[in-house]
Amino acid sequence: MELENTLLELSGVDTGYTNSSTEIKVLQRNIRCEVKKGEFIALLGPNGVGKSSLIKTITGMVPSLAGNVFIKGKNIRHMSNREIASEIALVLTDKISDTYLTAKDVVLTGRYPYGSFLGKITKMDIDKVIKGFDVVGAHNLIDRYFHSLSDGEKQKVLLARAVVQDTPLIILDEPTAFIDSPGKIQIMKLLKELVSKHNKSVIITTHDTDMALKNVSTVWLLGFNKEFYSGSVPSIIDEGLINRVFDVDGVSFNKNSLRFESI
Amino acid sequence: MLAYRNISFLIFSVVTFMLFMLNIRYGSVDLSWTEVMNSLFISDSYSVHGEVIILQYRLPQAITSMAVGMGLSLAGMLLQTTFGNPLAGPSVLGISAGASLGVALLVLMGGITGVSMGSNSLFFGDFGIVAAAFIGALAVLLVIIFVSGRIGNAVTVLIIGIMIGYLVSAVVGTLQFFSSSEDLHSFILWGLGSFSNTNVSQSLTILILTLLISLATLFFIKPLNALLLGHRYAVSSGFNVKILQTIFILFSGLLIALGTAFTGPIAFIGLAVPHIARSYFRTSNHTILIPAVILFGAGFSLLCNLISKLPGYDVSLPINAVTSIIGAPIVIWVIIKGRRLDIG
Repeated sequence: MELENTLLELSGVDTGYTNSSTEIKVLQRNIRCEVKKGEFIALLGPNGVGKSSLIKTITGMVPSLAGNVFIKGKNIRHMSNREIASEIALVLTDKISDTYLTAKDVVLTGRYPYGSFLGKITKMDIDKVIKGFDVVGAHNLIDRYFHSLSDGEKQKVLLARAVVQDTPLIILDEPTAFIDSPGKIQIMKLLKELVSKHNKSVIITTHDTDMALKNVSTVWLLGFNKEFYSGSVPSIIDEGLINRVFDVDGVSFNKNSLRFESI
Repeated sequence: MLAYRNISFLIFSVVTFMLFMLNIRYGSVDLSWTEVMNSLFISDSYSVHGEVIILQYRLPQAITSMAVGMGLSLAGMLLQTTFGNPLAGPSVLGISAGASLGVALLVLMGGITGVSMGSNSLFFGDFGIVAAAFIGALAVLLVIIFVSGRIGNAVTVLIIGIMIGYLVSAVVGTLQFFSSSEDLHSFILWGLGSFSNTNVSQSLTILILTLLISLATLFFIKPLNALLLGHRYAVSSGFNVKILQTIFILFSGLLIALGTAFTGPIAFIGLAVPHIARSYFRTSNHTILIPAVILFGAGFSLLCNLISKLPGYDVSLPINAVTSIIGAPIVIWVIIKGRRLDIG
C-alpha cells in the first residue's frame, strides 16, 4: 500500500553537472525524499543553490551523480523519455520564441507522449486539450497566438499543456516569476485545485516564499552547505530552518508574517 | 479557416504549374505554346528544333529548378526548427559553402580523382559530386551544431555561419589557384549557380530523391512541432532530441547536397521560403508548414528562374542575383522583426 502511494523516490541522490571530462561540480549530496500522491511541494532555497539541477535530475534530463531516482518504483535511468513523459509533466522557464504557434498548438504537444509517434491528432486529443483549457480557466485563449499572450496567460497555457499530459506528477520551475500579484494568486489557486480536485502531485520552485508556505503541504529546502530538509510547512517553520538556509545579513524570516523582513 | 487554407493550396498549386509551363515556354529562343505542347505531349513533332530545346534544355531546367527549390526550402525549414533559429538556412550558415568545398576538392583535384564537371556520362561522376557535396555540407553542419549548442543567440550563430562561409570560400579560392585552367573554368561556372546544367535523368533524380525526403519528413510532424517549444520541452513531450537532431541534420544535409551538387550554391531560397510560408498561412504548425514550404519552394524557385531568363531579351541574369534580390530583404525583415520580439 505504502509503495503504491509513492510516486517518486530519491535514494541518496547527488546532483550537479560535469563541466569537462575531469571536473565534476557537485551541488547537493545524498538527497533522500519522496513524493506521495496528492502532495503539493515547494522547493525553496537561495539562488544558485541547485534547485533547477535537482529538477533536471528528478526529470531524468541530467543523470544523478550518485544514487537513484525512482518513478513508481522504476529507476529513471532505465526509462525512455516517452515513459518519463507519461509520469511527469513540466512547466519550464524556457522562452518559447516562435511567433506563429497558437495556444492550442502548444497545449497539443502535451498529448504527444500518447498515440503513435507518427500518428495523427485524434478526436480524443482535441477533447482533452479543450478540457485542459477549461481546467485552467483559459478557454478564451485557445486560438490566440502564444507569443501575443501576457506572461500570466502564457503560464496558464503551459499549465494546460501539463494537465493534458495526464501525468500523476507536475513539476513547475518558478511558475509565478514575472507575473503580477493577482496573476500569482490565480496560478497558486489553480495548482491547489489540481492537487485537490484532480488528484495530481505538484512540485514548484519559487522565490515567492510566503505565498508558497500558505499554499503547499510540504517544503523541500536546499542550502549552500549541501543541506537538504524535507518536512511539512509547520515543522519547517517551527524549526527555524528557513533562516538557516537563507542566511543574509540584516534580513530574517518572520514566522508570523511568513515574510523576509529587515531587522 | 480550413477552407481558406485548402483554397490557398489549390491556387498556389495552379500558379506553380503555370510557372512551370512559363519556364518551358520562355527563354532566349522564342517558341510558341503550340510548339511547347507538341514537344511535351506529342512525340512526333513537326518542329525538331523546338523539341530539342524544350526536351533537352528547358524541361530539365524547369524540373531541376522546381526540385531544388523544394529541397532547399525544406532544408531551411528543418534547420530553423531544429536549431530554434529563424535565421538558419543552407546558404547563410555556410552549409552550401561546405557543399561547394566538397565539390571543389573533388573537381579541382580532377587530375587525381578523375572526376570532372563535364563527365556527365558517368553515373559515378554524378554520384561522386553529390557525395562530396554531402560530406562538405555535413562537416559545416557539425560545426554549427557545436556552436549553437554553446551560443543561444540566433544572430551570433548566423554571424559565425557567415564566417564559416568565408573560411570555406577562402579554401576553395586557394584550391583554384592550384588547379588546371580547364577544371577551374567548369568549377567557376558551377559556382555561379544555375539550374541549366542538368539533363533529363539528372533532373528527375533530384526530383524523386527530394520528394522521397519530403515524404519522410511528413512522418516527423509531431516531433518538429514539439521542437518549436525548445529542446527541453521537446524532451518533456517524450522525444529524444539528439536522435531527432541527427535525423533532421542528415535530411537537410542530403537536400542541400542534392541541390548544390548539380546547380551550384543557390542563395537565400532555403532561408526565405519558410518565412514566406509561415507569414502567409500564419502558422508554424508543421502539418500545414511542410506542404506549404514544399509548394512555395517550388513556386519561388520557378519564379526566380523565370525572371532570370529575362523573357524578351537575349541575355539572362545569374539565378543568384535574382534569389538574393528577393531573399536578402526577407532576412533583414526577419532580423528587425526578431529584435522587436526580443529573440535576436
